Amino acid sequence: MLASRLIASTRVLCLAVCMPFLSGAFASQPSLDLSQFRGKVVVVDFWASWCKPCRQSIPWLNQLRARYAAQELVIIGVNVDADRAEADRFQREVPIDFDVVYDPQGALATQFKVQGMPSTFVFDRAGKLAATQLGFNEKHRQQHESEIQSLLSREHS
Amino acid sequence: MANNDKRIGEALAVAACGLLGAAAPSASRAAEPGSGWDVDTAFLFYGESDGRVKDASVSALAIRDYGDERKLSLDMTLDTLTGASPNGAIASDLPQTFTSPSGRSTYTTPAGEIPLDSSFHDTRVALNASWSQPFARLYSVDAGLGFSSEIDYQHLGLNAGITRDFNQRNTTASFSVAYGFDTVKPVGGVPAPFAAMGDAVGEDDEGNASGQAGSNQDKKVLDVLAGFSQVLGRHSVLRVNYSYSDSSGYLTDPYKVLTVVDPVTGEPVLRTPPPGVEGPGGIYLFEHRPDSRRRQGLYTELRQDFSGNVLQLGYRYSTDDWGIDSHTLEGRLRFPLGESGYLEPHLRYYTQTAASFYRYSLANGAPLPEFASADARLADMDAYTVGVKYGHQTPQGNEWSARLEYYEQTAKAPAETLIGNQPGTVQMPDFSAVILQFSYHFKL
Amino acid sequence: MTGKQALLILIAGSSLAGCANLGVKPWEREVLARDDMQLDAQPLDTAIDDHIYFSKEGTSGGRGFGGGGCGCN
Repeated sequence: MLASRLIASTRVLCLAVCMPFLSGAFASQPSLDLSQFRGKVVVVDFWASWCKPCRQSIPWLNQLRARYAAQELVIIGVNVDADRAEADRFQREVPIDFDVVYDPQGALATQFKVQGMPSTFVFDRAGKLAATQLGFNEKHRQQHESEIQSLLSREHS
Repeated sequence: MANNDKRIGEALAVAACGLLGAAAPSASRAAEPGSGWDVDTAFLFYGESDGRVKDASVSALAIRDYGDERKLSLDMTLDTLTGASPNGAIASDLPQTFTSPSGRSTYTTPAGEIPLDSSFHDTRVALNASWSQPFARLYSVDAGLGFSSEIDYQHLGLNAGITRDFNQRNTTASFSVAYGFDTVKPVGGVPAPFAAMGDAVGEDDEGNASGQAGSNQDKKVLDVLAGFSQVLGRHSVLRVNYSYSDSSGYLTDPYKVLTVVDPVTGEPVLRTPPPGVEGPGGIYLFEHRPDSRRRQGLYTELRQDFSGNVLQLGYRYSTDDWGIDSHTLEGRLRFPLGESGYLEPHLRYYTQTAASFYRYSLANGAPLPEFASADARLADMDAYTVGVKYGHQTPQGNEWSARLEYYEQTAKAPAETLIGNQPGTVQMPDFSAVILQFSYHFKL
Repeated sequence: MTGKQALLILIAGSSLAGCANLGVKPWEREVLARDDMQLDAQPLDTAIDDHIYFSKEGTSGGRGFGGGGCGCN
């Protein structure tokens, strides 16, 4: 139990540590320090202006944030547009109510081993990766929401 | 409608398969889920030189996305055709008279001109519907129905297909099948193979100038398409398709004839109709094509982006058991013009070899071949198209565009099909055409 | 099967085998997702052209199919 938690913590710490290491080389590289969210459920969503299903997944994430922020749900969007202007244009059409980290070189996407767009990674209160959602469709929306609800209802142990 | 020129039903049987990618609408073209219909409309004017075929048509394609990549696609085309088409007979030093397909009248071609039949005015309607949806994460299936109708031709078609993605969707494999069932009901009836064009039967009678083989015939077409597309890099994607097509049934053009000529001079043999009757001034035999045709093709297309400019290059090779081998090379280059416009020049080159049974004419007294047709579309041929398209996007995200193209076709009769003095006097019904299209793409 | 037929199948098949490792990462599809990069970008134009050339020449069809694009879902 302790060992797996240690491993999980190491993984999250690694994200916190390795990211700055990767980003240290180029000033514009993004960093994503998830350790600051220990005790909260974190959803990391990779999106892009050219990703059509993102026009459905982002409003859904906005709804989740509205519904569960009080229960300590944190949502972070990672934008992978190579052209920042496109990401900005998208946000004028589809407002995003959560924080966005910009990853134009795909360093974070590589780190997270993103398999398809959009991709959502859900971390539990202990900082461990609990679920990965590849793509977005209406059919699984309810199921994904239930997964997040159950993670929120678990005490941080 | 009319003769094989306008055998559009057949086009649809093939187009249905050829459009399997478009009839099964892709993610890029459809509207955002739930936001209604994505509609594409086009008005087309097609006109050939020298009083030949003119066509005006309107088509519309509407796609509705029901969410989660489930799409319904509906399309409709209405077109009207007028003008004259070659009837297969050769030009002569003397005027030539022919009986029209209905059998009720005759028409005369001046000396030195290629005989054209101008009796066809027809309207065609075509409808297609298809549905596509995902099936497990990496698969997609689609199915469709097609229908078209014109005065002498009806087509009914079914198609179904499946695609699967590989390699994080860098590779897509697809397989589809289309089956078409067509009925030909020629004006004047179905002529028996090599039957001689008969005299006109006059205004009072129901035309039956040629209908010695009944009033209608069927044709079945099976099309199979195996495709593969591959992302080559951030800026390019390649597609390769293998197609196989098997047609059986009545594949002959019921309106086309071959001229019987003198074996020494190569001039049309003259004929005098009986007294008081109007009819052909020569011996013209209705053509006869095999009742089966198997064709295979390989098509490859590359799309390459160069900083916002898009080059599209396509090559198609086709071969069939009629002896028609063809190569098509086509290129388009789209480049942005201003904030919301684009210009897209287009070039196409086409070349084919003649069908083994293509004949310029038939020699009087020689035994009839098993199959023969003088339709220039089955001869050796080169054609090229040059055109340009301009498009403009409105602030609402709709797009209108205009396209102007010029097409020129040159056919050649293989030397071995020429008789007597014909090598010096061959005239093929070459033509040029102008294509003008206006389109508007909008969301409802 | 004729030599010609075998050759066609060989070409088609070898294209399939050779390209298995090419491609881009899922987040690198911004250009491929553009409308003008779609393999079926102008369906009406394609249908109209196919119909004209089918009516006027001896060969038809063969173009079909999807792939490319944003690679989403």
